[in-house]
Formats: sequence, structure tokens, C-alpha cells
Amino acid sequence: MEYQSCFDIIGPIMVGPSSSHTAGVVSIGKFVYEMLGGSPKKADITFYDSFSETYQGHGTDKALLGGLLGMNTDDTRIRYAVELTNRYGLHYEFKFENRCPYYDHPNTTVVRARRADLIVKVGGVSLGGGLSKIFMIDDEKVDIRLSTDDDFSKIAAKYRSNTFYEAMLEGV
Amino acid sequence: MDFRSMNELTELCTRERKTVGEMMLMVEMEKSGRDKEMIIDMMAERLIKMKHAVESGVEDGSPAPSGISGGDAVKMSEYVNNGKGLSGPYINDAMTFSMATSETNARMGVIVATPTAGAAGIIPGVLFSLRKNDGTSYRDLVMGLFTASALGYVIANRSFISGAAGGCQAEVGSATAMAAGAIAELKGGTPEQVVNATALAMKSLLGLVCDPVAGLVEVPCIKRNVIGTSIAFSAADLSLAGIESRIPCDEVIEAMYKIGKEMPRTLRETALGGLAMTATGMKLKDRLLCRNT
Repeated sequence: MEYQSCFDIIGPIMVGPSSSHTAGVVSIGKFVYEMLGGSPKKADITFYDSFSETYQGHGTDKALLGGLLGMNTDDTRIRYAVELTNRYGLHYEFKFENRCPYYDHPNTTVVRARRADLIVKVGGVSLGGGLSKIFMIDDEKVDIRLSTDDDFSKIAAKYRSNTFYEAMLEGV
Repeated sequence: MDFRSMNELTELCTRERKTVGEMMLMVEMEKSGRDKEMIIDMMAERLIKMKHAVESGVEDGSPAPSGISGGDAVKMSEYVNNGKGLSGPYINDAMTFSMATSETNARMGVIVATPTAGAAGIIPGVLFSLRKNDGTSYRDLVMGLFTASALGYVIANRSFISGAAGGCQAEVGSATAMAAGAIAELKGGTPEQVVNATALAMKSLLGLVCDPVAGLVEVPCIKRNVIGTSIAFSAADLSLAGIESRIPCDEVIEAMYKIGKEMPRTLRETALGGLAMTATGMKLKDRLLCRNT
């Protein structure tokens, strides 16, 4: 039972055009943002399968970048996320692959992001209807369900490494 | 308390003497720990966002960023308001409102996924048509959203709701089935009739592939939403007339799942087959790629 609430079905409130290729991807980006405690300065993003074929039409690239910049699914600035990366100083690169070797689903992405000394590698899958799942953090398998009503910061806190808190103490 | 199948859902409704919508609300209260009013408020917020998307879509004749959609809701609205529609006011208004919502979605405007953004037009379309044509109260429309979500909840957990996973039958098919059930309940149908309407609608869309031109949620998605509303009303009518689906709803959902599993990757939201690969579909894609680079 991946879907746990009526709001997984009626919702999220989001900017279009696709709940799986836009909204669910914003959430994956936002999770990375929370893992790093802010926007990364560098991100290497791999889109697999359906994501790699149709990302332009669905704004999947804008959605992921928007999430990395800390936006939520209903943020109307997502449309301008590519332009906004300049202002936030986020450098990014997209790669496109056929099948995801880590998780069997057409809507998968792996993001390796760096903010100062902090580096995190996150694998996410967008299940449909705006619901997402993080299946990998730093090459370890995890199973974290992300619904847009969740408090991502609280969830990410459980998975942050000691390095994260060391870096926070040093004032990243 | 929870339900995993349509069968369990109707049994639970009978046992607790609740409608499908009320049952969803009860389950949500128990699972989330939130109180009833808060959950109703959250759903009402979604209904309001849907209304804004309909209103802006009916008035906004501007094209989507792609340039391949936009402006049709304005045309449909004028046609219907001139009294020219053939399908009757319920279906005609639902067509206009679903077109408006799906066009708003293509413009990257704010919509509510029901259950997905690609299928976001159908449920608001039928609900605001009921509102316009028989004055259904906001409170009832919110309950209609709980009905729709109960049905979608079963479908999503037993099958799929994304085009990439199961084709358009999983998106427009699921949304149309949910809308049919919601109409049936708002018009006084029993939980059995609600589930039956869901089965009838879904059967009509089994096998529908996801073949978006240039990978955009525009062609053919927007018009499939529009026509989905007429299937939803037809299925609700059949069910309220006492006509039963020979195949029970849970088995229809299982069939949808199996069909989706057998569907080739080219027909599951990759834009590598179907309408996406027609001469015109390819031409539109090339034109867009030229513009983007």
C-alpha cells in the first residue's frame, strides 16, 4: 500500500503539467535541499527511462532544479527555475540513461549534490499522482515515502550524516 | 480500519452505514490522527484551487508555452453558452470546465492532481458542472472529492495511476472511473452503485495508451480529459438506472493492471509510439525542439 491518504489521490496542489514528471520530482529535489540544509552549489542529475525521454515537455528539469532551490510543488516560480539557478549560484549538469540500475521504475532520477563540503547522493522515484519515494542515500538502500504534505525537513533530519552536523557547526 | 478493495469498501460502508465519501473521511481521521474538520478544510482548499483553475482557464485564451494548445476552453464555453451543445448541459459544462483545467495545467498554472495532473480536468469538470446545473452545495462537492479519493485510493494501491507505469488507462481511465463514482454518490446512489459506476467507466477506457506528442501533457491529453467527463456521466447514468457491470470492479482494476504490465514501453509516456509518432506528431515535436535550442 504505497498510497496512504485521500490527499495522495486528490492532490497535491501543484503547478502543471505532470504530477509524476513535475510535482513528484520537485519533492525529490526538495528532499536533497533538506539533506544539505540549503541549495547545493553543484548538482549532477541523471534522468532515467521515461524521465530522459520526456523531461523537456513536462518541465522535469525545471521541477528538479526548483526543488533543489527549495521550492514546493505549488510554487509558480518553478517555471523560471532554470533562469533562477544563476541567481542562486547553482551549477548543474544533466545526464540521460535508459534504465535505472538501482530501482525498477520508469520515473527515476539520481542526484549527486554538493554544498560546501557536504556531498549527498540521492536516488528518487516518482510513483505517480505526486507521490515520491527516496530509494537510495549515498549508495545505501532506503525506503522513504514523500507526500507533499509531509515535513521534508523533519524526514531528512533522520538521514543526515554526522558530516552534515559537523559542517553546520563550522557554519556552512 | 482500512480498505484494500472495492469489495471491502462496500462491505465497510454497509456495516458502518456510511457513504463511500464518509468512509474515506473516517479512515483518513484514523490513519492521520487529524480531526474531522481539519481534514474537511484540507479537501475544501483543494476544491477552491480547482475552482480557480476552472475560472482562469475559461477566460484565458492564451497558448501554452509550447504553442500547441490553449484557447479551446474559451471556444467551448462560447459554443455551449450559445445553446448549441448537443450532449446536454451536464456533459457540455463538464467538457468546458475540464478543458479549462487541463489548459491551465499545460500553462504550468496551479491545479490539483486528481489523481494526476495529466488527468486533472475530469473530476473538477464534473463537479462544477453538477454545481452549475443543480446547485450542488460546496459541502457536497467536498464530500464528492472524498468519494472520488476512496475509489482512486483502491485503484492506485491495486494497480497504477501514472501513464508511465500503466498507460493512459491508468490516468484518464482512473480519473474518469473516480468521477463516475462521485457523480453516482452525489446523485444518491448506493455504495454498490458507486463502485459499479466506477467499473463501467474504467471498462470503457481499458487499453488506452499514453502517447503524448513531444512528451507534452497536451496532445491528446487535454481532449481525452474533456471526453472522459462524458464517459463519467454515461457510466453514472447506467449505474443509477440499475444496470450492472458483468465484471466486478476489483476484477476490472486487476485487468487494467495486467494490461498495463503488458503494454510496451513505447506506449507508456515515452512519446515513442502512438499519436506521438504520427507524421503530424513528429512535425510538432521537431518544431518545438528547434524552438528550444
